[in-house]
Amino acid sequence: MIEAGADIRTEEFLLNMGPQHPATHGVLRLVVRTDGELVLDCECHIGYLHRCFEKCAEGNPYTSVIPYTDRMDYLAAMCNNQSFSLAVEKLAKIEVTDRARWMRMATVELQRIASHLMAVGTYGLDVGAITAFLHCFRERERILDLFEEMSGQRLNYSYIVPGGVLYDWPDDMPKKIENFCDQMEVRIREYNDLLSGNGIFIKRTADIGVLPADVAIAWGCTGPVLRGSGIKRDLRKDRPYEFYDQVEFDVPVGRGLHGTLGDCWDRYWVRVQEMSESIKIIRQSISKYSTSTGKYLTTPANKQLRPPKGEAVYHTTENPRGELGYYVVSDGEPIPYRVKARAPSFCNVAVLPEISRGTMVADLVAILGSLDIVLGEIDR
Amino acid sequence: MSEQSSGMRLQPLGPSGDLSDEELLKHNIFITKADDLINWARRSSVWPMTFGLACCAIEMMATGASRTDIDRFGSGPFRATPRQADLMIVAGTVTHKMAPRVKRLYDQMPEPKYVIAMGACVCRGGPYHKFGYHVVKGVDLIVPVDVYVPGCPPRPEALLEGVFRIQDKIRRERTLYYDGQRRLTRPAPNPRLEGHAGNWANGFDVEGADAPKSAGFIGWLREFLFEGHGDDHGHGHDDGHGH
Amino acid sequence: MLTGLLLAAGSAGRGLIDLDLTSLPLVGEMLAEHPTIAWPLLMLAIGCGVVIGYITVFSLLAVYAERKISAFMQSRLGPMEVGPYGLLQTAADGLKLLAKEDIIPRDADKLLYIIGPIFVFTGVWLSFVVLPYGPDLIVADLNVGLLFLAAVASIEVVGVLMAGWASNNKWALFGTMRMITQLVSYEIPIGLSFVAVVAISGSLSMQEITLDQQGWFWNWYLFRNPFLFVGFFLYFIASLAETKRAPFDLPEAESELVAGFHTEYTGMRFSLFFLAEYAAMYVVSATAAVLFLGGWCTGFAFIDSWMMESAGFQRVLANVVGLTSITIKAWFLVAVMMWLRWTLPRIRLDQVMYVCLKVLLPFSFGVLVFSTLWELVTDGTLFGDWWPLFQFLISIGGFGLLMMNFMAKERPYDIEADFRPLRHSEVHAAPDAGARG
Repeated sequence: MIEAGADIRTEEFLLNMGPQHPATHGVLRLVVRTDGELVLDCECHIGYLHRCFEKCAEGNPYTSVIPYTDRMDYLAAMCNNQSFSLAVEKLAKIEVTDRARWMRMATVELQRIASHLMAVGTYGLDVGAITAFLHCFRERERILDLFEEMSGQRLNYSYIVPGGVLYDWPDDMPKKIENFCDQMEVRIREYNDLLSGNGIFIKRTADIGVLPADVAIAWGCTGPVLRGSGIKRDLRKDRPYEFYDQVEFDVPVGRGLHGTLGDCWDRYWVRVQEMSESIKIIRQSISKYSTSTGKYLTTPANKQLRPPKGEAVYHTTENPRGELGYYVVSDGEPIPYRVKARAPSFCNVAVLPEISRGTMVADLVAILGSLDIVLGEIDR
Repeated sequence: MSEQSSGMRLQPLGPSGDLSDEELLKHNIFITKADDLINWARRSSVWPMTFGLACCAIEMMATGASRTDIDRFGSGPFRATPRQADLMIVAGTVTHKMAPRVKRLYDQMPEPKYVIAMGACVCRGGPYHKFGYHVVKGVDLIVPVDVYVPGCPPRPEALLEGVFRIQDKIRRERTLYYDGQRRLTRPAPNPRLEGHAGNWANGFDVEGADAPKSAGFIGWLREFLFEGHGDDHGHGHDDGHGH
Repeated sequence: MLTGLLLAAGSAGRGLIDLDLTSLPLVGEMLAEHPTIAWPLLMLAIGCGVVIGYITVFSLLAVYAERKISAFMQSRLGPMEVGPYGLLQTAADGLKLLAKEDIIPRDADKLLYIIGPIFVFTGVWLSFVVLPYGPDLIVADLNVGLLFLAAVASIEVVGVLMAGWASNNKWALFGTMRMITQLVSYEIPIGLSFVAVVAISGSLSMQEITLDQQGWFWNWYLFRNPFLFVGFFLYFIASLAETKRAPFDLPEAESELVAGFHTEYTGMRFSLFFLAEYAAMYVVSATAAVLFLGGWCTGFAFIDSWMMESAGFQRVLANVVGLTSITIKAWFLVAVMMWLRWTLPRIRLDQVMYVCLKVLLPFSFGVLVFSTLWELVTDGTLFGDWWPLFQFLISIGGFGLLMMNFMAKERPYDIEADFRPLRHSEVHAAPDAGARG
């Protein structure tokens, strides 16, 4: 806080950011107490997008809940489908063929790239680099084209269902994905040229919003936010699901290259690096998919699932934003008795007031962007 | 009002108040042409507001991005402030908590303003119609909607089509020419609002939402041309639009 | 405001005094009958018309160019459907803004709210009075031209303060405070750059500064000495901040402050800010062209000498050549501004102040002192007539060495080493957690 003389009174200023504000990534509302440009404190108000996911899930058959999971984290719909499907598969003891698993892994990693592209792009937008955003969207559209060919949808796919995936891939899909990977590697370098290595961008993000590792753990941060603080935790490695134990990839963590460990630049950089790691996983999945056999879907998508009464599972997966968990309870009916989602963005945004105190208003925007939240998931 | 001929409106212009047919025609042609010009300008630069609520907002951003470049049609500048926007694309689910804000943002926009309801949720509640206890079942309960773009979410091409429909709508508008029954921009009151349990439009009318003091150059011009006749041109106007 | 108008009108009048307006039919009669009223009115009309017309046309073209350039950089097409290749896009935008409802918020300070944009626009508009476009094309060749330019530029600050404060909006207030901090600070390096030029030219008159740079392009002040060469870039950076262009576009940073100080403005009032911003871009670019790039001089000695000696119809042609020359130079700088805008992220307020007070200010002082010393020592003719050429080579060479050093040190990103950031920081980065890189 700025020290003022006895006779000079400085006034605190209550600033209401959102719910309609370009930088709040949806409808987050921040009530910011400022002293001039300095942020003294900020408070997150959520619930502007409470779409009653859990209520809807308790009113629909298991397979009909899948579309609602899409709309929770609409930037990573495939990952949400996968997470819920895995939980239901565990609950109803459904087998999935190897081929379907490799298909799932490739699509989920593609989705991870798409989501991180969005995160990187909008982060550029937050700090004022508009062109980076449009370049990221250009590549994202290519991924959406692939998804459209797989599932018929552009954003909310409902593609991964209990028992496999909803539709088989066209014959040339592996080749198309390979082509995309080849191009994407070049594009990542382009983004690095445009944004990551930009002096002003580094000045804006390095040493800003430093999230120490212990604070990140205490607040339950996961995903790139946690890894940006230097902690190597990734469910794909630590508690492998699908076939993540059969592929080679690294878990990038923040190293404090341009400032303090755990600053905004580190979180951003983890995402950029994860994109290239995802490309590695996709390449391996595609080659394994080509040699594996089996049906793409073991149980028909419209089959009524009746998991045994009293069963309850909690399954977590590594979403682009962190650990996404679904707790599903069955009472023997075709409709789940209770569904609870553990949304990564919800925990990640909670740390915002902690790390934004004492920064400037412009930094607040940068920190919020580096947390990469999705309001659909926070409010559910 | 509607029975009166348009010649009556033009009386203040003429020297004696009793214009000949030719003079009347001349005035009408002038006004029609001026209307065409203004409509051309308005439909060529429909600036949307940066107002994303949920999934559809991502497709709205995609509409502005390189593939379906909305800037080609003059709708490129997404304005963050409602004061400088012409078009509110309600993109995403409107919840009960968000509804008053949507209404307020609409109120803050200057006339002429248009609303696109983008996506199933905003049209009628979409997937949340049955169990979504916190979801407003259609944004038309809060603000008057000009164009509905269904889909979950609609493709960017669909949103572009929605913008074209808005442009078509503007093309048919009359701004200076006024025959006593044509409305300015607002659509007729929504029949769904009638007898609705909670009339959102009234229930959420934000206190102190700035009433416009004047309607700008066009308002002045209309006032000048049709002095004293600029009344009851809109439905449900509560903001005293320049007359 | 009124004073400003009259000043502009008077200046315009003096520029046109050579023309024989009394020979015109209707105007001549009026002038003969009421000379005391008609003359100033005529001058007012002509001066205002020309300047406003120029600003409007320039702004329309500049906005179109900006949208097309940004589209080009973002693999888009930009405006295409309104008129051929979208050429009428900005005209439609302007007309639409004119036809929008004019909202004055209930709690706004009405008077200040209304006159704020007018002040901002007037400030920029007055700057056009002293800009020379050709041997005879200058509205008023004031002998304090540069001082006038610096003075009227600061009117904008007052206008923005009025607009932001009167809006009674927190975002507007934030934007205003940022804007004022920025504008007031950056006037110092800009003023010092002016002084460095004036110390060489010996005159504040824009026309005389231009005439001093006649001949081959190495006579331009840009190449006058190595220090002034740096001074040009200092001025250009400061002028980016002065016109609130990226990376200094904090006052209207869309992702932070919804729309900055004009958050509450609608329609025509908003478009006044809009016009003023683009007109200011032209003013600073044209000023840079006059101060450092020879103004309307072409950079070729034979053309310049012809321009000065020509008479009659050739004189008109010479003016056209001069107008083309300065327009090309100014547009080039405007294009660079647009290029920067769509490339660079935005910097933070404290960084803006850091750049101004700790980088630009000391360097500007250095430029002023050393460039003056250089002039004293070399006396303009150290090696006879060819000295300007030597100076040109020294400037370019010095800058080249500087840039080479800079590039070697600060290579922004090594795309070959797979996705690794700065190489030098990697060397310094400690492996343990929490260490500073």
